[in-house]
Amino acid sequence: MAGSGSSETIQTTALEYAPYILLLPMLAFPVILLLGKMFNGNKMWKDGLKEGGLIALPVMAASLLLSLWLMVDFIGGDGRADTSGWTWFTSSMWDSSQTTVTEITLGFGVYIDHVTVMLLFIASFLCLLINTFAIGYMNTDPINDNRNHRFYAEFVLFCSGMLGMVLADSFLWLFIFWELMGLCSYLLIGFYYERPSAAYAAKKAFLTTRVGDVFLMVGLAVLWSLFHPHTAAGQGALDYAVVFEPDNLKAVAETSSSSLKWALGLMFIGAVGKSAQFPLHVWLPDAMEGPTPVSALIHAATMVNAGLYLVARMFPFFGSEYLYNDLADLAFIIAAIGGTTAVMAAAIAFVQHDLKKVLAYSTMSQLAYIFTGLGAALYLANTLHWHEYLIDGTINPDYDTNHAIVIVAFGAALFHLFNHAMAKGMLFMASGAVIHEVHHAHHHLHPHDEHHEEHPEELLMLANYLHDTDQSVFGFFNSIDLDQSGDVDTYEFQKALKHADIADLPPWEIQPLMQALDMDGNGRIDIPELELTLGRVHLASLADGDDHHDEFDAQSMENMGGLASKMPLTATAMLVGSLSIMGFPLIGGFWSKEGIIANTWRVALDDPRFLYPAMCVLLGAAMTGFYMSRMWLKTFAGSPKTDVAAHVHPTNTWIKTPLFILTFMTLGAIVLASLGFTHWAPDESYKPFFDGKKSFVEGLVYELNHAFANSDVFFFALTYIAIFLGAVVGPGLALSLYGGRLDEDQESMPWFAPVLAVNQFVKSRYNWDNRSFAQSGFATALENRLYFDHYYDMAMLKIVAAFSFRAAEADSSVIDGTVKTIERTSQQISTRLRSLTTGSARDYILMAALGTLGLFALIWGVVA
Amino acid sequence: MEQIEPFAEGFFIALAPEFVLVIGLFTLMIVPNMGNAKFRIPLTQIRIPWLLGGQRGKFDSDPRLPGLFATVFYTIAFLLTAVSFFGGMNKTQIVTPSGTVMLQIDEFSRMFQLIFFGALALASAASVNRIPATSRADRSLSGLYNNRRQVDFYILLITTGLGMAVVALAQDLFMLFIGLELASFSTYVLVSFMKETKEGTEAGMKYFIVGSVASGVGLYGLSLLYLWSGSLGFTELQTAFAETGMEALPLIALGMLLVGFGFKVSAAPFHFAAPDAYAGATAPVAGVLATASKAMGVLGLLRILLIIASPEATDGSAVWLVALGVLSVITMTWGNLAALGSTNPKRMLAYSSVAHAGYMLAAITAIGALNWEEGHVDMSNDAALAVVTALIFHLTVLVCFKLGAFLVLSMLESEKGGHTLESLGGLAKREPIIAAAMFIFMMSLAGVPPLSGFVSKLLVIMGIVKVALLDVTVNSDLVFSDIHWVWYLALLMVINSAISVFYYLRVGLVMYFNDPEEGREGPLARGTPVRMAIVLCLITTVFFGVGAGQLIALAESAANALVGAW
Repeated sequence: MAGSGSSETIQTTALEYAPYILLLPMLAFPVILLLGKMFNGNKMWKDGLKEGGLIALPVMAASLLLSLWLMVDFIGGDGRADTSGWTWFTSSMWDSSQTTVTEITLGFGVYIDHVTVMLLFIASFLCLLINTFAIGYMNTDPINDNRNHRFYAEFVLFCSGMLGMVLADSFLWLFIFWELMGLCSYLLIGFYYERPSAAYAAKKAFLTTRVGDVFLMVGLAVLWSLFHPHTAAGQGALDYAVVFEPDNLKAVAETSSSSLKWALGLMFIGAVGKSAQFPLHVWLPDAMEGPTPVSALIHAATMVNAGLYLVARMFPFFGSEYLYNDLADLAFIIAAIGGTTAVMAAAIAFVQHDLKKVLAYSTMSQLAYIFTGLGAALYLANTLHWHEYLIDGTINPDYDTNHAIVIVAFGAALFHLFNHAMAKGMLFMASGAVIHEVHHAHHHLHPHDEHHEEHPEELLMLANYLHDTDQSVFGFFNSIDLDQSGDVDTYEFQKALKHADIADLPPWEIQPLMQALDMDGNGRIDIPELELTLGRVHLASLADGDDHHDEFDAQSMENMGGLASKMPLTATAMLVGSLSIMGFPLIGGFWSKEGIIANTWRVALDDPRFLYPAMCVLLGAAMTGFYMSRMWLKTFAGSPKTDVAAHVHPTNTWIKTPLFILTFMTLGAIVLASLGFTHWAPDESYKPFFDGKKSFVEGLVYELNHAFANSDVFFFALTYIAIFLGAVVGPGLALSLYGGRLDEDQESMPWFAPVLAVNQFVKSRYNWDNRSFAQSGFATALENRLYFDHYYDMAMLKIVAAFSFRAAEADSSVIDGTVKTIERTSQQISTRLRSLTTGSARDYILMAALGTLGLFALIWGVVA
Repeated sequence: MEQIEPFAEGFFIALAPEFVLVIGLFTLMIVPNMGNAKFRIPLTQIRIPWLLGGQRGKFDSDPRLPGLFATVFYTIAFLLTAVSFFGGMNKTQIVTPSGTVMLQIDEFSRMFQLIFFGALALASAASVNRIPATSRADRSLSGLYNNRRQVDFYILLITTGLGMAVVALAQDLFMLFIGLELASFSTYVLVSFMKETKEGTEAGMKYFIVGSVASGVGLYGLSLLYLWSGSLGFTELQTAFAETGMEALPLIALGMLLVGFGFKVSAAPFHFAAPDAYAGATAPVAGVLATASKAMGVLGLLRILLIIASPEATDGSAVWLVALGVLSVITMTWGNLAALGSTNPKRMLAYSSVAHAGYMLAAITAIGALNWEEGHVDMSNDAALAVVTALIFHLTVLVCFKLGAFLVLSMLESEKGGHTLESLGGLAKREPIIAAAMFIFMMSLAGVPPLSGFVSKLLVIMGIVKVALLDVTVNSDLVFSDIHWVWYLALLMVINSAISVFYYLRVGLVMYFNDPEEGREGPLARGTPVRMAIVLCLITTVFFGVGAGQLIALAESAANALVGAW
């Protein structure tokens, strides 16, 4: 960690203040939580401070300002990787390998390079905007009343986790903040923990990413063991400054390059889990259970980017001349996983009706693009001689060409990360605005529906079973209550359901049921409590009869339509965001997506294995065009599908502001591209901003020329194929199926007119019937998310659950037994010892006298 | 080093903090007795306002006045002591006209005075509003109609501090004992001050009986030393011990002194009266016993074991090495195991303080294990410095969190709670900040990073390990049998710390997960001074953990003043 940084470190003021970027939000966490606890319900706290939202806002703004300062300082400086540290304390420690006592420094360090700067800006900028959005979204929903302080506290902790991970100067600190984010994602996804589905989703996200984290941890351990012998005094073996040091890399590459490959591969699995890639993608759609700002935070600003950041962080390994050609396989695996996920997620997005679920799968798919792009870039870096000097010190003849290729490939991936983060952050916030307003409109029109009490089906069946067989709850559960504790635990409840022939459920599905039963919320269910609840469930079922009530789903696109006239700004933002994700020419993601596709094909020309990811990304482009258009058209075009959608109103300023800013950010991608963002280099050799070589106009001309008039025939054709697929075929299909003209009396913004006109034209001309597809087995499979969840659950039930029951038994008898024995023995000794304290001063003096004699004996024994 | 005779020029300035306390003593005696009494000159009708006696005014009969006075004077004394650290320590000796050194002012003594005055200032602040006026008075503010009784309490509190200050400064055993007895006698009365409760009187009585036996034994040892060498000055005794230390007389005396100070640091088996005393005394007084009084005992032990019976003088292991090692093992284990089963939080803290005494004895033992042969002296000096630094750091931060925990209990005492663990139930709901503070104090006691308790434990353990590995380092080849056995003391400390987490965490469990007892709902009684004292303890507990460097440097300078005397 800190302290072992290189000696030529240049200290700048901005770098000194860099730890505050994460420290400020981290300090805001306890402040908001404590104040929220103390002033909960207070009027000033609620309206004046928005339950902590207005404490978080300036803190995030300060973080952003410090980040910007650091960026300007870094780019305006020499753009060289730089470290700075803060030391907690130094102490001496025995080191067996050196047989000396060495100084060990504990502290936190900051590492700045191009990748850091890019991610730092994305994270701090979006965190601020999402915070603004959250004030408008969370504080206006009565369901969140008096608990928003929990949201804001966890929010700022999450932000500090992401910012800390980006800034950290070692893989160890990266891992620590990575885990902090894991914890916060668990807390935030499960924000509505009283809903069983949210609690389940939170657990699912936590456990699925944990699978990846275990691999990451093992990978880091391997990495540590590789670099440990090459560090001074054996410390800081995971510091970037140590790991990326060319001499160390050389030493490791010579002796154990295959171990290094394994270490990086294992770390990549961690990234797969965090960024929700195949096959650890199952948690992400469920994570939509969290409030929408959380979705925006996880899918745009922070969590999923963490995995990408980790892979981008590995660049120095791939780019090292000493590991030339050694890591190409790994780069292929990265690209292949990306390609697979890109197509799979896009396909599932075809059939989703939930607005946020479409965006979730879109996130998965776009992240996969970035993985593919990174895979290609890492492959190029690993198989091309792209350094100025060759390994033997001679000048590299291919330097200019190869260097440009690597930088453009890496830059495309990172720029897509940027574009996706901006667009997806905006899309999530816009979808949040839509859901928020639909929900409000629904609440306005059907106020009574909100209080409908819903009971899980199994409980209903259990209540009816008990009623039908005329058993008392007490008698029934007493026969089941194996340990006669008076409480019912998961295992016993499972037995009860099995016994009543209702269902044989795995424990994780029992848990939500149990939560629904726990009336006083103390985490335990005793039999009187059970009696009360089951009685209530039974009564409710009698009252309801068979008259099943359809719950209104404010997130379903089936309930929307025609909102373009009701929410013009939101519709505009959504349109721009969708076009950016689709890669529509000149807008946002186009500039980076083209780069990813082109570079994947560039590799494919060289290595036929890459044809697979290359085909995937090309196919994915068309699919993206389809599902993004479908989403926009179903939501905003056509006539309202329900009475609720007809009564939606524009949203409030807190929500509009970030949408407004991000719309321009996305449209302005062309400016950024001209400024050289597409060449975002992994090393200091290339400066992204005006480096004296090119002006802005020249950059613009260069980019346009490269994108639309490439001199290479292959890439020229590829560009137009990609544009054709992504901007014509995909959207065209969607235009022919969904949407339509707005209702007669509805006015809207002028820029929707061409879209709606084209929509109307295509739809009336080619009104295809897609019912046969919708009823096919493939559509069903897609709706069931290709059965991944199902098979994972099955595997869990068969293997893990069986094992975990055994483990639970072993735990309670062996491990708990041992611990309890120790505890009991200690308590017995304690009682015995304390019984010596009789309370009589005579005994005390007697003991003191015995002690005195003992002391004399000991001293005498030493001397004699 | 400057030498000053009593009442010579510079005498009062050199001893300014102590004289502030003396002034405080007189203020406390005079001001609350001032009234409108007039004195008639005999045979005339002229009456001169005499001020002492008569009808008292509103100001000087205020029940909070004595507590505020004591707090202010202790704060001034603390600040004056602290000031002497800035601008360089002016090392001074107070000598008799015949040239014998009586007191010595250096970083070491001043550091300990900081500990004493700090703890006592916090304790007196916490006692404002808390001492009922009569033995029968209900413990409410309305019962405090009169401040006569409070005056007694704070006078005793100030004499305690004066005695401790003298112990810190003393350069011969006689002065040291005078100070020790002054402080001890004051605390005996303070412990039994709550005579309305049965426990208070009983506890004070037991504490006095056992304490006086220990003092008697110690005094006997002292007289034996005088008999043997004809002097009580530390330097003279050190020289004499180096020459003829292996005779029966000094060794017996050493053992007896160990008993005397063993009682003060509450080392097993001389600790028996401590849990009773802590439980019977008011919580701030118990806090003083557990922090300042303990620091005084450690100070005495350091003077006797490291200066008089200096391990350096005996070439190789000290004579007291094994005895102290065994004492530390018994003490830390006994303390922790007994604390496990305690349901009275004050007794639990008392036993935990026994355990801490064990840790400190282990650290002193480690110094005894140092090798002072040719070629080892420099390294041994370094290691001894590290251990003493750790000890002083530990004693300082102990004031923050152990006294802080007692102050939290003192808040509960105002509603007759604090004697059972259950009375802490639901504190998190009733008083979130106080409960959070208590939780942090407990975590710090258990040694959880990054709190100061962690740093202090880490420093002690690393100091011991450093000592144990010194020989190995010289030979530059790790052979297990070369490791000195004091290494096991460090290991035992780690195991004991693990055990201790159990009972420390239990307090948090009760505060956060239990419901309040019946009749204990709602926030605790008001009391700005005690709350401020708790918050101060909280801030320092965290600050000295995160920013430990400053305090470590301060402790190191103090340790240097002691160890550098070799």
